[in-house]
Amino acid sequence: MAEFKPYTYFQCPCTDTSFSTRRRIGDSGPSSEEETDEDERTFDPRAPRANYSLYPLEHLLYCEDCHQIRCPRCVLDEIVCWYCPNCLFEVPSSSVKSEGNRCTRSCFQCPICTAPLSISSTESPPEGLGAEYVAQSGPYVLNCAYCLWSSKEIGIQLEKPNSIYAQLAKIKNGGEPYISPKERRRIREERKGDGEESQGSEMTLDPNEKLDAESQFANLKAFYQEQLAESSPASALGFTGDYGYGSPGALSRIMGLYTGSSFGDKKSKSRSSMMREAQSALEGLQISSPSASEESIARLRASGWEGTCSTAQRLAQAHNPRFVSDLRPIAHLLRTKRSKRCKTCRHILSKPESKVQNTRFRIRLVAPNYVPRIAIRPLQPGPAAPQALLLTPLRPTQFVLTFSNPLFDDVRVSIATPAKTPGRFGSRVTILCPQFEVGANTDVWDEALREGGAGAGKGGEREKRRTKAEASEGQQQAEAGKVWERGRNWVSVVVEVVPAVLKVGEEEKKDEKEEEEEQEEEEGGGSRYAGPLREDEDILEIPVFVRVEWEADVAQDEGAGLAAANNKDNKEEKEKRELAYWCVLGVGRIARD
Amino acid sequence: MASSKRVSIMPAPKPPFSCAPNIVIADNASLTGTHPISVGPQSVIHPRTKLNSTYAPITIGSSCIISERSMIGLQSAPSDYQTKGVVIGNGVVVEVGAVVEAMEIGEGCVIEVNARIGKGAVIGKHCKIGAMCEVAEGDVIGDFTVVYANGMRRVDRGGVEDLKLRMVGRQVEVLRKLIPSNPAKFQ
Repeated sequence: MAEFKPYTYFQCPCTDTSFSTRRRIGDSGPSSEEETDEDERTFDPRAPRANYSLYPLEHLLYCEDCHQIRCPRCVLDEIVCWYCPNCLFEVPSSSVKSEGNRCTRSCFQCPICTAPLSISSTESPPEGLGAEYVAQSGPYVLNCAYCLWSSKEIGIQLEKPNSIYAQLAKIKNGGEPYISPKERRRIREERKGDGEESQGSEMTLDPNEKLDAESQFANLKAFYQEQLAESSPASALGFTGDYGYGSPGALSRIMGLYTGSSFGDKKSKSRSSMMREAQSALEGLQISSPSASEESIARLRASGWEGTCSTAQRLAQAHNPRFVSDLRPIAHLLRTKRSKRCKTCRHILSKPESKVQNTRFRIRLVAPNYVPRIAIRPLQPGPAAPQALLLTPLRPTQFVLTFSNPLFDDVRVSIATPAKTPGRFGSRVTILCPQFEVGANTDVWDEALREGGAGAGKGGEREKRRTKAEASEGQQQAEAGKVWERGRNWVSVVVEVVPAVLKVGEEEKKDEKEEEEEQEEEEGGGSRYAGPLREDEDILEIPVFVRVEWEADVAQDEGAGLAAANNKDNKEEKEKRELAYWCVLGVGRIARD
Repeated sequence: MASSKRVSIMPAPKPPFSCAPNIVIADNASLTGTHPISVGPQSVIHPRTKLNSTYAPITIGSSCIISERSMIGLQSAPSDYQTKGVVIGNGVVVEVGAVVEAMEIGEGCVIEVNARIGKGAVIGKHCKIGAMCEVAEGDVIGDFTVVYANGMRRVDRGGVEDLKLRMVGRQVEVLRKLIPSNPAKFQ
């Protein structure tokens, strides 16, 4: 079994899933009356929808204006810039739109192993004195330093060591040149002219002519555009070349859809019958030859396993090749830098520096700077064997929760858990100290100096339980209502857990013996006790409701600029803040019998 | 140095070491074992390389580069089919931290960082064993094979073997200047 690491996930308040989910799934609390009472609802970390609202603290942002946690679901992403991860060049959005989201410079990935390719000359490097100053010449190939693939294997050699994208676009595998779009158009026009002159029927059906994918697409596109243009300048679908949804034809069709009347139906029907399909290679028709599959089978036989692409290799390619010899170097996908905005107040929460090379952020309001971090560890350090790390059912186990305060003000924390964890196997949970105060995240030196200074001030007033605990080597007993340990800006409290028994059948019987509430619960959702243990159901997850209260300086707050201006004369004014949210503590796995 | 090869058998702690006069072997390379170790001309043995001939002899060809912290030679008792020990061909580069217990490594191979080659494995000519890759015991790898990633293999038909051998030669030349050699210590 993989080693279990305790975790803390925070629920973003943007999705208050507890109510609807619980009713739908039937994993409801003891009584339905309780559900209506908002304060009594418990968050169920096992509800299917809870997955979408739980995040590690590092993934969360904090909006200073709404005073609320913001998760990836309640922020708006805005793309600051596109850039190539390989050459770190910024790509303007206009060229992303026109040329796609791949690097159009010289950045390519190996089609075999996805490592970046480098360009090198096939000529042996010059030797002798000053050899390093001599410019290399001759045909260049793309090389993979990792798997030693080179573009020589697909018969591609390049003339220049730069602007590889443009060069590759002109060369087919094997070295033959691609017909450029301009050339293709010229050929098409020419051929059409010939066809009209001769009026020969042999021109219309030409199954032998093989087109490459690009030419076929270009021909087809040209053909259908022509057809559409001929049938009506603004045809029923409105696809006149561009996706012209604004055209009168499209409008009338949409109106027809809504009103139910046949606005332009008759017209469009008569027009669509006038359209014909492609009939020749010139128009983009490709007749699949019956021998094509035989050919590919023969090729498969000849090239064997070595010459066949893997699925991953195939998926990375645009043209879905079957054989290694059909692979092409993959241009690097572009990446984006994004800024994030709060969905409710539209303030920017995170904004990276727009320069690609710069990894700094201009604005970054991350939750760890505002929300107390919660760490879990067992009170009694257990043996190192992984089997022993499992929680024994029905044996009370104590955990230490450490809250560390990132704020520069003292905070008052109250935490609450349901007495029994939700889900099929309810473990009993007791927080020994549900209310406590955590010190401000002041300068480390301040604190040290203050402590040195005759124990005066806040530091001296505080309980020095930490030193006490150290002196007794952790032998002390956790007391109810008292903080376990306390430090400069952190406080730890003890939580006692009685893990449930994971036997499906016995659980039912045991519950019956217990409180009446639970009997009701069983009646309500008897089906959920059926079935074997689901995946990760043995993990003991405790939902904890955390309420943090503190007094912040009004003047510090940017959002309250107006208020600050009003209270200019008394800057000492403090504002009461409160932040409340659900957390899930993954404590450990319960042992199975 | 008149004779090209001079075999001298040393007392117990030092293994019998034979080498061409123009090799480069760093002062603090470690040669252990009782079976003979021979190194061909132009080869470079970096400092802290471990050549272990406790269980079987080691033969290294010419123009090889054996890097730091690599371990050449059998690390445990040999299996039945490996009696001639570890034979490394000409122009082989063994990079940092690689463990080579192979029966034979062909000409012009590159064994990359932290790769491991099991006992009795036979590696063909001009192969490349990628970083952190493992070759199982007794495996036979054909010529021009590249082992990369998670044991993936492909046959490289790049046709630049001569170029690569020449590059190894040039690398050896540079290393000759950089590494102070002391073959006498091991003889």
